[in-house]
Amino acid sequence: MLKSASDGTSTAQSQPGGGLERWAERHLRYLMLAPTVLILLALTIFPSLYMFYAAVHRISPNPDLPWEFVGAGNFARLLSDAQFHVALRNTIVFTVVAVTAEFLLGLGLALLLDKFIRRLTFLKTVLMIPMMLPPIAVAITWKLIYEPQFGVLNEIMYRLGLPLQAWAGDVNLAMFSIIVADVWQWTPFIFLLMLAGLASLPVEPYEAAALDGASSWRQFWDLTIPFLKPVIAIALLLRVMDALRLFDLVFILTGGGPADRTKVLSLYIYQVAYRFADPGYAAAISLFVLFVTIVLSTWFMKRMRLAD
Amino acid sequence: MVRKLFLTLAAAASALAIGGVAWADITVLVPSGSEGDGLRAAAADYAKMKGTKVETVQAPYANVFEQGANAGATKSGVFDIVLMDDPWIPFFAENGHLEDLTPYFKKAGLEGPDNDFLSKSLAICRNPYNSGPYVCLPYVGNAQMFFYDAAKYKEAGVDAPKTWDDVLKASKKLTEDGGGRYFGYVFRGGQGNPVVADFMPIFWSYGADLFNADRSKVTIDTPEGAAAMKTFMALRDVSPKGVESYNANEVGTALAAGTSASSINWPNWVATFEDPSQSKMVGKISYTAIPAGTKPGSSEIGHWTMGIMSASKNKQEAFDFMLWATSPEQIKISAERGNPPVRASVFTDPELTKQEKFRHYPVLMEAIQASTPRPRHPKWPEIENAFGIELSKAVAGTITPEEALKNSQAAVEQITGLK
Repeated sequence: MLKSASDGTSTAQSQPGGGLERWAERHLRYLMLAPTVLILLALTIFPSLYMFYAAVHRISPNPDLPWEFVGAGNFARLLSDAQFHVALRNTIVFTVVAVTAEFLLGLGLALLLDKFIRRLTFLKTVLMIPMMLPPIAVAITWKLIYEPQFGVLNEIMYRLGLPLQAWAGDVNLAMFSIIVADVWQWTPFIFLLMLAGLASLPVEPYEAAALDGASSWRQFWDLTIPFLKPVIAIALLLRVMDALRLFDLVFILTGGGPADRTKVLSLYIYQVAYRFADPGYAAAISLFVLFVTIVLSTWFMKRMRLAD
Repeated sequence: MVRKLFLTLAAAASALAIGGVAWADITVLVPSGSEGDGLRAAAADYAKMKGTKVETVQAPYANVFEQGANAGATKSGVFDIVLMDDPWIPFFAENGHLEDLTPYFKKAGLEGPDNDFLSKSLAICRNPYNSGPYVCLPYVGNAQMFFYDAAKYKEAGVDAPKTWDDVLKASKKLTEDGGGRYFGYVFRGGQGNPVVADFMPIFWSYGADLFNADRSKVTIDTPEGAAAMKTFMALRDVSPKGVESYNANEVGTALAAGTSASSINWPNWVATFEDPSQSKMVGKISYTAIPAGTKPGSSEIGHWTMGIMSASKNKQEAFDFMLWATSPEQIKISAERGNPPVRASVFTDPELTKQEKFRHYPVLMEAIQASTPRPRHPKWPEIENAFGIELSKAVAGTITPEEALKNSQAAVEQITGLK
């Protein structure tokens, strides 16, 4: 009864003109949510639905020609499109190699700094810088570093008496060069998450393990890794999703070449949509990438038991 | 319904994107760089003189095509004029994005553009090429030239290169003597537009072309094509390591820094080569026509042209501005601002030709008159991409030159539906 008396509804009812206030109280939450919902609808839901709609049509760049419904035709094209297969293969290679390298380096650096040089906060800040730079600035910087004739990397090679390399221009080195640039930029992201994870580890299990005579290596495998598992899963998930969308580095450094060795799915989607003016097919490829990302994420979350 | 909603949203988004210029009488989409800067300066002059507010929206090269195509496809009308690279003209014209200029000329009491324009400059502005109605007016007179270090070539036993054999002879010697730090030749080997742009003049100079005369057959994999490819591969072997990723900037820098002796490039690089703050080769780089193979050499034409968008709501104002901006007086001012002209009277104007920085004008005028347009096809961007991939593979050595020609033939046949 007392609770009811202090209830806002009861108070509103007891006052004259309470109808408006009551209405506001009932609907205010919807009003407050409305801008977010509208923005979400305009920027996410509508474009996503529209992408499905576009993916089942052949769209002419001529606005006077009607869109032709092709059903699954655009998706069927994926099976026989050699350029799509090349882009898919390159994207997989890039994602697996870059994310693995970033994870190993990020974890290693975090362990190193957490255990041995904990007080060097300045070093931690410096390590974060690449992650904070705009991707386009990173790409242009690495383009200058890799430049075969005037780049700093070949100048070092020359002074060391080593053979000069074309780096981004060599078929055998181009993907490696892009991976190195990506690892440089995104290892700090893994490092940051791992460092946060390490800082939250409980002390007691380690003390108990030390009393039982467990080596540092055993403690790492049997305690640190299991405790860090959720952080590791989140870090890998975010990096894999991001790596599947790689664009800036490839666009600036190689343009997908040489010999198609660095053409990735995002670059191909951009070309199909904007250079070849075929947005229907580009939408179909985008949906494929979305599908792969969702399947991969779901599988990964289940595997790491994050979904629970 | 959904489509209409999308088009409305796209138009609204485009309008928002150029929100700051919505109050202008005419809006012009231009590329970044000297071409766009020149037209922006002209637009400011026009506003002062005529009272018509002309706003320019600048975008990087590739984005000009994308934004223009998007505006055309959505009929948004956000741009009244688009400054187009000439190989884009068939795409814009054949997809209904460009206005036929014939009625506007008639209304102005003109038959068409006057005869002071170079004939090759006018030919590209008609669609179909050189026969259809005018869909644009030429503004910047680009055509490739052959740039070379005359002193180095002389050292290598070639006075002035007339043929690709001359170029190879000098380049081989210079690269051999260069010890990996100096090269006889350099080219744009980057996949796509760059490698295609630098291969086409060689292709044409051996009598090859992508299509036959009436565009009914793809003709890449031919003996003429093989001869051109052989020369191209020989030039690759005397070029710096890494040309597989080179674009115009890398090639221009190599020539300006004096680390490569020769190349094909665009005339707007002359200003850089003659600028002591950017070049070690001031006064040392010579300019000549594209060397001959088995046939006379031919430059690739790369004009910037102005067309009126079909969805424009200010078409007459747009036409009046275009006519003014391409007049002899304005083209001369544009030339002084660094853009190669498109008019004979400007190319031969003694006020300009007596200046050192315009000493390449006779060669450039000759190059434009002997130029060839890239194949006029609405699917040119896709064709260029496919051809560029195979050329890139050949340059990188992952496939043989013969395979590159065969694969290109098949890819272009598939894109165009021709056999």
